[in-house]
Parts: sequence; structure tokens; C-alpha cells
Amino acid sequence: MIPHRVLLAALLGLASGAPGSPLLAQEARDPATLAIAYPRNPGSAVPTLWGADIANREVSDLMFLRLADLGPELRTVGDKGFVPRLARKWERRDPLTLVFELDPRARWQDGTPVTAADVVFGFERARNPRYTPRVATVLTRVRSFAAEGDRRVVVKFAEKYSEQMYDATYHALPLPAHLLAAIPPESLSSSAFVSNPVGNGPYRWVRRVPDQLVELAADTGFFLGKPQVRRILFLNAAAAEARANLILSGTADASDNIYSFPNPARLEKLPAYQYYPVPTLELIYISFNFRDPADTSRPHPILTDQAVRHALVLATDRVTISRATYGPFVRSPGAPVSPILGRALDVPPTPPYDTLAAIRLLESRGWIDHDGDGVRDKDGKPLQLRINVPSQANSRVVMATRLQEAYRSLGIELQLDVIDGSVWTARRQAGQFDLDFAGGSQDPAPSGLTQSWSCAGIGGANMSHYCDPKVDTLIARAVRADNGAVVWRDALRQIADDYPAILMAALTNTYVVNRRFQNVTLRPGSPWANVWQWKVATP
Amino acid sequence: MTWLLGRVASAIITYLMATTLIFFLMRLTPGDPLSRLSEDRPMPAEARQHLLELYGTDLPLTVQYRRFLRAAFAGSLGGSIAQGGRPVTTLIAERIPATLLLGTTALALNFIFGIWLGVWQARRHGTPADQWASVLSLTAYATPAFWLGLALIWLFGVELRLLPTGFMHDPLLPMNAGPWERTGDLVRHLILPAATLSLATIGATARYQRAAMIDALELGCVRTARVKGLPEGAVLWRHAWRNALGPMLALFGLWLPLLVAGSVFVESIFSWPGLGTLAWEGIGTRDYPVIMGVALLVSAAVVGGSLMADLLHRWLDPRLRTA
Repeated sequence: MIPHRVLLAALLGLASGAPGSPLLAQEARDPATLAIAYPRNPGSAVPTLWGADIANREVSDLMFLRLADLGPELRTVGDKGFVPRLARKWERRDPLTLVFELDPRARWQDGTPVTAADVVFGFERARNPRYTPRVATVLTRVRSFAAEGDRRVVVKFAEKYSEQMYDATYHALPLPAHLLAAIPPESLSSSAFVSNPVGNGPYRWVRRVPDQLVELAADTGFFLGKPQVRRILFLNAAAAEARANLILSGTADASDNIYSFPNPARLEKLPAYQYYPVPTLELIYISFNFRDPADTSRPHPILTDQAVRHALVLATDRVTISRATYGPFVRSPGAPVSPILGRALDVPPTPPYDTLAAIRLLESRGWIDHDGDGVRDKDGKPLQLRINVPSQANSRVVMATRLQEAYRSLGIELQLDVIDGSVWTARRQAGQFDLDFAGGSQDPAPSGLTQSWSCAGIGGANMSHYCDPKVDTLIARAVRADNGAVVWRDALRQIADDYPAILMAALTNTYVVNRRFQNVTLRPGSPWANVWQWKVATP
Repeated sequence: MTWLLGRVASAIITYLMATTLIFFLMRLTPGDPLSRLSEDRPMPAEARQHLLELYGTDLPLTVQYRRFLRAAFAGSLGGSIAQGGRPVTTLIAERIPATLLLGTTALALNFIFGIWLGVWQARRHGTPADQWASVLSLTAYATPAFWLGLALIWLFGVELRLLPTGFMHDPLLPMNAGPWERTGDLVRHLILPAATLSLATIGATARYQRAAMIDALELGCVRTARVKGLPEGAVLWRHAWRNALGPMLALFGLWLPLLVAGSVFVESIFSWPGLGTLAWEGIGTRDYPVIMGVALLVSAAVVGGSLMADLLHRWLDPRLRTA
């Protein structure tokens, strides 16, 4: 039997003294390699296989180009402000037709030129609701993509509206027809292309180690400029603590929002890193159910009253609660718009935190504590509400708990139903809630407001059955207008006056990036998409 | 032989009952796997119908169960609902090496050090060294694994930077690294998660071993061995320890599922790509095929572990063969 001392010594020697110890690997690291502590597990970078997974899209944005990208302001309205990518220019043939001229330098990573046929092929695959339902629903107003020769793409729309350019370029990406035409859509997810996708962007696929990492390498022949960052590693660390440790140990060069980590103070002043606040498309809100959860054919017995909803909004110290949870850069908006959307729209001011006004409103509607039990009541019924909170969203659970305590002092009984994510989704889709603590990523286009904040969205993303025909009319006008800024303002003000939700937080994330990377820009909605334009300071 | 046949039959029945119970209970819990796929946008009816045909989640439970059994006997566990239909067998195959490695290492460390410590303590029964060792092992046993893991990462990974804070391999290791370099890299990454899993359980193993060994050292055969002049090592390990093996075998049977079940927490904070996190994600998304795939494995490990423990015990102890 090997003496245990010898065994221990051998193990320690292997662990620390052998070449390639963790310290050595990090010190010998190529400075042009970017290791990102990443919270998700990218499965497929192929555009029509993203599903609902943001991770897939973020990796894909480095491998596959669009005809044009959103500009720095992320304006989705009109034809201007977009950045040429595969298309070097575009023009309007008539109010229902856009024409794109492809850059003749654009190539797939196997050397084949990108042609108009690839653009048409990508669109046709994306609009198939059977396989890409998420994308197909937003392309209903695009009638067709057609190729005129190898370099020209003609896009026709079913109606005139202000976001035609956005719809034509953002949702459906060109795909290599010469590689995929022979693979039926239902077989794509199990094809060899998924494990070795061929893109046309600044980075090419190297490998994926399941649940560990995805590696991309710079395409040195990229027609828009050779990236200085030669390699990108997405290190999959789902646990926030694991990502924090990757930054603290110097293993990772970059990470997402440090305020999503436990005890973020320890990450706030690391000398090797630079901090970047980046507005997001994310909105956290508590929606009011306009239907009775016991019988959704009836209006809600309490929340149908606009004054009660207004009172609940006034009774919520949204700024304090959200900043304590998400950090100093978060805002509580006056209308359901994310920070990115808020840059393009005239957003109403945030309602104040005013408990006295809230009490006055409640009492004016007859909600008084008649029996002295600490809970307001009316006609014998207590002011008792249940809020559904997904258990996986720790931040929302914390905020809901604080809210419960704040409401208790005002005589409002708020019962928390902290439930498993699947159950939460099922209940909100079935309308089984009084209040629902929701959160999500908005479209960068204002027209995306239709999904959750209009009568048309009922049966879809509008789970609370909020419906104001005035809002629908205003949104419809704004979408059609060439410059709908004023109409959008009116629509947002109408939504704000209806108080359909307590808008808790419009998130601005604080990213960290190692200081050796310069010219860093982080695109809201897809933060790593501009890595190919970063510079690397050599020591 | 009768005993063996009966024991094996009992194991098979237990396994079938466990997996059937999991199958039905899982589908009876609230939450719909398809609803997650269309969380914030309306799913067209055509897309939903396609998914229902693919996964059969709207069929009667008994029909779903028959379909599952037929497919399982044909070697298929279906496709993951949350991961776009990827075969569950592929998902499990991707993760099981990592789980087996971590589980085997943790079990090996647990039993090697736990048994050694228990025997060491038994030899020094009643002395201050024995008492201190008991305090330390109880402290280790009472320490929550989640705290221990975080503390080890902080000390060795962040402050001292001696060991990696996570993953199974160094992502920066060159592609042309040799086998020794790769093995060393793997061992470095294995140290902290294996230590986290095993440190707490070593205490429990040591306590059981100590108690059994104290009794064993009082046996007449041990006294006889000493009187015969055998070296102390032979007395201890060849005579006394064999009689103290029973509880260890029972513990082994109980902890064998660790080999395949993994530990959700340890895998999560160390970003270790094992079955534990796969199961956790599957439960969260109601990914029935994934849950059943992992359940089949874990149930087999539990039932198999118990059966193996009984068989080993019977083989080692002749008295049980004639009982």
C-alpha cells in the first residue's frame, strides 16, 4: 500500500508544481483573449434556433451579421440612424418597399460570398411559425423578401408604418443557403451545422464545452476590420457567487451586472477593472389584475377601481426599494418603458411616494379600518391582496417582502405567494393573481408596448387584461406616423394615468471589464456585440 | 440462491415503483412545461400544437406512461422540452462523466479518510486525542456544505489564488497541452469541490467506524490474534476491522447515489457541469423527459447501492449466509 504521505505529496505536486498551474495559465494568458463570466449556457448560435434564450442571441450577434444594426441611440423608428453591416446602403422605393444593396466584400466564414439569396433564405426560415414562433409573430407585417440579382434585396411590407426598417433588419438574419437549404427546418437542431456553425460576422465558432464554455475566435478576414480581441470565452457560471469569484480571482476579464452579485460592495473598487453602467431593455413591475382571479369573466372586485390602483402606486417607495436591490443606477419610470426605450420617448414623470395621499385616496373610496384589526375594509370585505412572485427571482422576493411590510403600516394586507417559476408562469397565464411581480426584456421598438399594454395584447403577453381603447388608438396612430413622438408621449401618459402596474425598476446594469481592453462600448440589449471594435492595450 | 433471487426481485420491484411514482407525481404537480416556452409572447396555435404532438403532454397520463416505457425499453428517454428537443440521453451523457468523477472522488476521500480516522480514534479510545478528533469531526459534520464551499473558494481561490474558483478545466489551457498537464489541471479543479463534498461526510463516517471498531477490538478473536503474536497492523486491519465493516457497507449503500445524483449546490458554486444542475434546471422548467432520465439513474443508484451493500455484507460475513 502506498504510504499516504507519499500519495498526498504526489497530489500536491501535481496540483501546484506541474506546468500549467492555474496561476501560470492566467499569467501566460494572451492579453487579446477576453474571458467573460457569463450567467447562461449558450446552446445554439444559429439564428433560427435561438428560442427564448438570450445567451444564444448574444453569441450569435458576434457570428452573424444583420443587414444593418441599430445605432447607438437604438432608434427603431424611421430609416435613419441604422449602421450598415451586410447592407452597405438602402433606399426606399415606395412607402411599402425597402431596397438593400449588399456589401460585395461580405463573406461567409467558409469563403462563399453572402448573396441576396441568403437574405431571402434567412427570412423564409425565420417567418415559419411552426419552428420560430417568437420571430414569426413580429414579422406579420413584412410581406416578402426577394432577391434582385446577387446583391440586391427587395423587402415589401403589408402596410405603412414607422418601424419597417427595424422589422426588415433586426429579427430575421441571413443564413448560408448553400449550407442549409438541403437541411429541413425540423432537422436543423440535430444537424452538424449546430455544433459547427458558419457565420459571416467578426468571430467564428471554435468549440462549445457543454455547461462550461463557448469559445469564439476572431475572423482575421472579416471585411469590416480585423478584431483586436482575438479570442472570446463565454465562461458559463450560472450562480452569481461563482461569477463574482471569477472576477475576484482574476480568472474572468468581464462580467455582467455586479449588483446582481451577493455583497456587491466587494466588487465596486477593483483596480484592475473599469465599470460601465449600461441601460437595458429590462423592466421590473408589479401588474394589477383587472379580472377576478376566481372567475376571470368578472372584473376584479378591488383593482378595477383606478383610485385604489393609484393609491397602491403612491404607497410604494419604489426608488428606495429598487435601489436597495439593484444598485444606484436603477430608475423607477413613470411609464412602462425600459431605460433604452426611455431615451427615444418622452416619458411621464415618476409618480411621487406619498403615503398621505394614498390614505386619502383609499378613504375616499370607502376603504377604512371599521373593525380596528389593522386592515382596511369596505362593505365587510378586507383590503387583502395576494401577490405572485417567482421563487427563482431572489430580488423580487426581497422587494415583495419589503412592500408587504410597507403596506401593512397603511392597513393593506399583502400576502406573498412565492412560487416555483413554472407554477408562477402557469398562474399568470391563467390570470390567477391579484398582483403579479413580473419582469422582462422589452423590444427596443416602441411598438412592442402593444404586447403588454394594449387590449390587443390580451390573450398574449398582456396577462393582466389591462385594456384602454384610448391607448390602443394612440399606439396605432403612433406606429403609423412618420414621426410619432408626440403621439407616443400621449399614449404613455394615458397608460401612466390608468395605473395598470407599479413600475418598480427600469434596470441599468453595471458591467466590469478589465482595463487592458479599451475603446469599450457595450451595446444595450446585446452587451458583447461590439467586442470586435475594442482595442487591446499590450503591456 | 433463494435469498439472492428474492433480493434481486425486491430491488427490481422497488425500482419500478419508485420510477412510476416519480413519473406520475411529477406530472400531477402544478406547472406546464410548454408555458415556459411562451412566457412573454403569444405562441401561435400551430406552434403549440406542434409541441404538443412532439412531447405528448396533453395525452392522458396512462398513455404518456406507456409511451415512456416503450421508449425507455428501446433505449430512448425522449427529447428535452426546455432545450429544443435535444435527446435526454445526450444531455446525461455529456454530464455524467463530470458527476461520476466528482462523486467517486468525494466518496473515495470520504471512506478512505473516514475509515482511517475512525480506526485511529478507536485505538486511542478515551484519550484526549480521541476526544479532540471527535469534536473536530462533529464540527465538520455540522458545517453546512454551502458555507464550507464558499469559504474554501474565498481562501484558496480568491485570497491565496492557489486553486481555481470553478469549472472542470482551465479554459485557457492550450489545445496542445499534454496528458500530464491536462491531468494536473483536472486534479486542481477537482480539489475544492471534492473537499467540500467529502469534508462534512468524513466526520459521519469516522463516527460510525469508531463505534464499530471499539466494539470489534473487544472481540475474543482480536485478543487471540494479539496473544498469537501477530503484528498490531495485522490485528487491526485483518481481524478487528473486518468485523467493523458492517456499518461501513450500509453507509456505502446509502451514499452510492452521490455518484450519480451530484450535489446541486456544489455544482452550482463551482460551475461543475454535473447531473445535479441538470436535474435542478429540469425541475424548475418542468422538463419531464430530463427529470425522468435523471430519476431513472438516481433510483438505479439507490436501489443498486442498497443491493450491493447487502451482497457485500453477506459475502464478507459467513454467518449471514447460513442465517
